[in-house]
Amino acid sequence: MSIYKRAQQWTTFTRVWHLFDAKWQNPFESAKIIQKYLAGLHKPIYGPSADTGDHVVVINSKEIALPGDEWQKRVYFHHTGFAGGASWTFAWELHEKDPTLVLKKAIYNSMKGNLYRHTKMERLHIYPDANVPQEILENVTNQIRRPRLIPKRLDEYSEEEVEKFPKLIDYPEDYVIQKIK
Amino acid sequence: MSNNNLFLPVGFPRAPLANGVGRWICQLQRLTFKFCKNYPSSRGMREFLEFELLDFTKKNPGIVVYVKPRRHRAPNLTAEYLNGEKQIVDCRNFSYEEVKKWVSLLRSQSGRGTVRLLKMWHTDHPSIQGPWSPFVNRDPKLNWVEFPNEDLSQPIYIEKSATEKLIEIFEEQQRIERQPKQE
Amino acid sequence: MSALRLVIQSTICGTNVLRCHEIFTARGIKRWVAPTLKELERRRKKLGPQPPPLRSSFVEWNYKAEWYSFGKRLHEEFNEHTLQRAFTHRSYIVKEEESQKEAGIENPELNLEDNQKLIVEGTNFMKKYIRNYVSLLLPKFPEEGIRAVCNYLLEDKMLAFISENIGTKDLILSSDVPPEEETLASTLKAVVGALIESSGEEKAGLFVRDFVVTQLVEKDVNDIWHPEDPFTTLTDIMRRDGREIPEPRLINETGRNTILSTYEVGVYSDKQFLGSGSGETIEVAKQLAAHNALRRLFKTTENMLPFSFKMNPYGEHVKPSIEHCSISEWKSKNVNC
Repeated sequence: MSIYKRAQQWTTFTRVWHLFDAKWQNPFESAKIIQKYLAGLHKPIYGPSADTGDHVVVINSKEIALPGDEWQKRVYFHHTGFAGGASWTFAWELHEKDPTLVLKKAIYNSMKGNLYRHTKMERLHIYPDANVPQEILENVTNQIRRPRLIPKRLDEYSEEEVEKFPKLIDYPEDYVIQKIK
Repeated sequence: MSNNNLFLPVGFPRAPLANGVGRWICQLQRLTFKFCKNYPSSRGMREFLEFELLDFTKKNPGIVVYVKPRRHRAPNLTAEYLNGEKQIVDCRNFSYEEVKKWVSLLRSQSGRGTVRLLKMWHTDHPSIQGPWSPFVNRDPKLNWVEFPNEDLSQPIYIEKSATEKLIEIFEEQQRIERQPKQE
Repeated sequence: MSALRLVIQSTICGTNVLRCHEIFTARGIKRWVAPTLKELERRRKKLGPQPPPLRSSFVEWNYKAEWYSFGKRLHEEFNEHTLQRAFTHRSYIVKEEESQKEAGIENPELNLEDNQKLIVEGTNFMKKYIRNYVSLLLPKFPEEGIRAVCNYLLEDKMLAFISENIGTKDLILSSDVPPEEETLASTLKAVVGALIESSGEEKAGLFVRDFVVTQLVEKDVNDIWHPEDPFTTLTDIMRRDGREIPEPRLINETGRNTILSTYEVGVYSDKQFLGSGSGETIEVAKQLAAHNALRRLFKTTENMLPFSFKMNPYGEHVKPSIEHCSISEWKSKNVNC
């Protein structure tokens, strides 16, 4: 192959490093997006056996948000293989032990159970907060957009915004707001 | 899929020696008609030689035709192509029409032989704009960005919430009220 | 017709036609068939590897018919005597004379003329014509490139390949059997020479165009030749054009700290884009970017217009020959190198 064809092949099939900020995101929704990048489905050159997947670095996995009461209700089952080795762990317990695992399992379980799965998972790098090793952060050249907006808390609104906000009703002038003891 | 059936090799559609790009050449070089002068299995071939052969040779002066009468032998068409390939067609008990059809097939073949085509097309220029790479259509602003970046994390499509719609209606009302009344 | 004779004939010719009723009976193959075949195989192995038989040694062969068809197949009118001469090589005449002398004939008289003069005529014509045509196809290519492309087309390997696929192999009369690359190549040149004598230069030109020049159809010209140090070459060209020296800038990159890193470098002259290239390291990418810039200048990019093989330089609109500059003197204006 001539040098240009070789270089062209190299360029077309390079692996790109993406960044994803998982703050306040639903891990199951994020998993659907992330697994597409890991598989290479976002590329026009995709082929199932062509190994076109990219790397994804996920940060702030400590701050994921499960929907509804999943933190209390979702249970992760594990069996050691030995008698009496079954264990059921709540999502909040698992998150306390290792804050990356809930998201990791969500991504793992969103993939098809074929032999490519472990290779794709090796290209996933999850960090519980924004402290990523410098070598890995230098590789990153693209950011994946979040699926959800981070909602604004009431105490994050500034005073002017609160005043400007249209009022539908207001307390009568002589109303006394009582403090709760 | 697999090459288990090696009696039928695989290939892509190709023309020998860029045939057709310059001028087209008939790839059949020589045709040998071997037949028996009186055995009934050669009847079809004998009829072809009697009625069609001279027309065929006049239409195709580029094909050398040899006629081999051989007694007590089965009739036979041997085609030799420009690339050196040889194809022998056993014409025993063929009809006159069958021999004619086989002759026209041999004339129109390239000497490559039967090949299972993997693609029904071939091109030397598969792309005009150039092959895709991850850098194609990449926003160059990304080169100036420090990762992680808050703006790039925002979802592209955000549906308008009910609160925002209400605020819009309110502001529209305010704007109409502020306008001086025209009477 | 005896069954044994059939067996022997079939093994000599290599065909496998053992269908005679004398070999196959209701009880199967006759007892003597296997031992006979084994003996014949043993004797054949003892002789050692034999060259394949010459097609002209077969019973079904007619030189006149073959020569006539050769010309007709190629849609050309050849003078019969000239064409015969074109296929007769000097080595064949020498061999024939020697064998006649061995047989006892003192003054061997062969009414054969060899093709030396035709080869020379053909070679000179082909060189001129191909140079002219390639120059028309690549008007901005430097001199070294044009020379390389012409040499590629006029290589013995290429001409032998063309010659074989036209059908000269069986018609050649030379001492080496089967004919070697050199013989095949010179036969093609002799055929061109014969065509010049028979039909004239214009027809011969079309012949060379349709068979030799069309071999460029699948080839990328940059595979045949490319400047050795693209960045230095580009800098020199920019200087000669009176433009700013090229400045390489990193456009894109991925995976900086991995082994599968890719860098895309763009080359700019006074903020004007010249070309871009990408590779495994920055140095490779820089050289490729310079090369890409040169390709754009020479108009030999990947998406250039495909070559036209329908031009007729000897026809009505004869274009003046283009002067090509050497790479060390190349300028964009390409005037007065």
